[in-house]
Amino acid sequence: MKIFSGSSNKPLAEKIAEELNNHLSPLDIFIFPDGEKRVRVIDRVVDENCIVIAPTAPPVDSNYMELFLILDGLKRSGAKEIIAVIPYLGYQRQDHIFRDGEAVSLEVVINMLGATGVKKIICFDLHSMHTSELSKIPMKHLSALPIFVEEIKKIIGLSINDVVLISPDMGGVRRIKILSELLNNMSYAAIEKNRDLASGEISAENILEGNINNKKQAIIVDDMISSGKTLVLAAQMLKDKGIEEIYAFGTHPIFSNDASERLQASIIKKVFVTDSVYVPKDKMFDKLEILSISKLIAREIVETLSV
Amino acid sequence: MQDQLNDFIILSGRSNLPLAQDVGKLLKKEVYQCITSFADGEIRVKIPVNIRRRNVFIIQSTSSPVNDNLMEVILMIDAAKRASASRISLVIPYFGYSRQDRKEASRVPISSAVVASMLEHAGCDSLLTIDIHSEQEEGFVSVPWDNLYSSYSLIPTIREKKLSNLVIASPDKGGMIRATGYARLLKAEGVAVVYKKRDFEVNNKSEVMAMIGKVRDKDVLIVDDLIDTAGTIAHAADHIKRHGARSIRVAATHGLFSGPALARLSQSAIEEIIITDSIKQKDEVINNKKITIVSVANLLAEAMKKIESGDSISRNLILER
Repeated sequence: MKIFSGSSNKPLAEKIAEELNNHLSPLDIFIFPDGEKRVRVIDRVVDENCIVIAPTAPPVDSNYMELFLILDGLKRSGAKEIIAVIPYLGYQRQDHIFRDGEAVSLEVVINMLGATGVKKIICFDLHSMHTSELSKIPMKHLSALPIFVEEIKKIIGLSINDVVLISPDMGGVRRIKILSELLNNMSYAAIEKNRDLASGEISAENILEGNINNKKQAIIVDDMISSGKTLVLAAQMLKDKGIEEIYAFGTHPIFSNDASERLQASIIKKVFVTDSVYVPKDKMFDKLEILSISKLIAREIVETLSV
Repeated sequence: MQDQLNDFIILSGRSNLPLAQDVGKLLKKEVYQCITSFADGEIRVKIPVNIRRRNVFIIQSTSSPVNDNLMEVILMIDAAKRASASRISLVIPYFGYSRQDRKEASRVPISSAVVASMLEHAGCDSLLTIDIHSEQEEGFVSVPWDNLYSSYSLIPTIREKKLSNLVIASPDKGGMIRATGYARLLKAEGVAVVYKKRDFEVNNKSEVMAMIGKVRDKDVLIVDDLIDTAGTIAHAADHIKRHGARSIRVAATHGLFSGPALARLSQSAIEEIIITDSIKQKDEVINNKKITIVSVANLLAEAMKKIESGDSISRNLILER
């Protein structure tokens, strides 16, 4: 087995390789002066199973293109089976046509991965639970929820009846129910979030499912943190309704624009994310804690290859 | 019979809107823009008009930022397909990654083939390019791929210069066919070629080695498909100058002008550079006194008309061969 890393999240790839008692095989990734990338596989890969670790977080198009080129290089070099580990799958939110004349970008990128010879995709906490079911390529959909459960247990201590799990939108209800089951049926509630499709502005309206009466601690759980506006809006609303302490969990730290500043300045006490997406130094903030998904991915790789 | 010309739709990505609009003007068609970006940088496509059962042209150069411009065109194809377009014709004046067209070393991808197959998989029905780096790339897809030559647009501009004792030069071995084509069309006195050896271990550095052909006291026109960092062209020009050329001009299709290109060109022996608008140029190129930009809008408009009407492209628009 050979393990390769794209340039988007090398620290995660190194951790996964370590978990597998292996090391990363080198790739020569060169950017020409005009911005085109040139990829070269250094080691021989004939008849080797190849794992490529490359979350397609921003800059999304350049990360996808790099991944396609790595996959093509491996395929043409005689690799046996190629498994793409894409902890964060870019374009996953564009999974259906919201308005006439739009593309289904998610299907486009999955088709491209299929065309470049990927046998299996391993990814994490997809925006829609249906994505892995509808994918034309076998897709293993892992979740960071088991990792979150351990952290949540540490936060709540003995006061389980004071705590409520919160989904910041109705789309996350299925996720929050699973988490509730993993935490001895902890109470949960979902907020009604509205997004104006034309302007992109969001608003948190009110509690739609479950209730938060007599609760002191709230744990908001989402799949990704992009601008952070959803979390901050939800937190403010929860505080207005009497919650005293608010934590946030999000699998993918996309952190666009001034998300870090927004979250640090918010009433949220601590923000937990995973290392599915690399967080550069200038986007780190005091309230942020990063949990690693490397063990879960390593385990899945072992299981995949042992079949 | 219904006039097909009134029916087709032109969509444009963000890479070269001015060229798309010039094409639209020539064809008396509106050009629809359909791209915005999400906050995290993901591209969002929305075609603003009904295109059901229409023939759709998508105009987009995959120049820098190449990966974003590529994704734009791929997502536009997907949106057009899902909006029930009858036929999706891609017009890609500059085709990015076309230089990575073979395995130049072991264990490398054929990036141009990856790009071409992505476009085909997304669902395009045909491709139209100008001066693709190597024409064999047409075989990377199973749909029709028409490659045009910018000589259609460049030759009239060069003729106006009335260069009397003209020699056409190619800056490398691969450009000889183009150079002989130009020589025939411009009734030049001769052809010259400068060789170079390109070392793949040292990226984008080229070395001039030798020349075939007489250039002493001649007005030399170097022709090439593209100018990237301008290393090849500047070296070739200096070599030709050392062999006694009277004047040196350059005609090239695609002006990438990456990195040190403009500085190199200004320091070189080149008097004038004629390029096309296949790539949208930044102000420092537009305002550069050595550089003349010739539009390929007319060439593209004529080709699109022929695609719509079913006329021959090779008979009417290909002068070089």
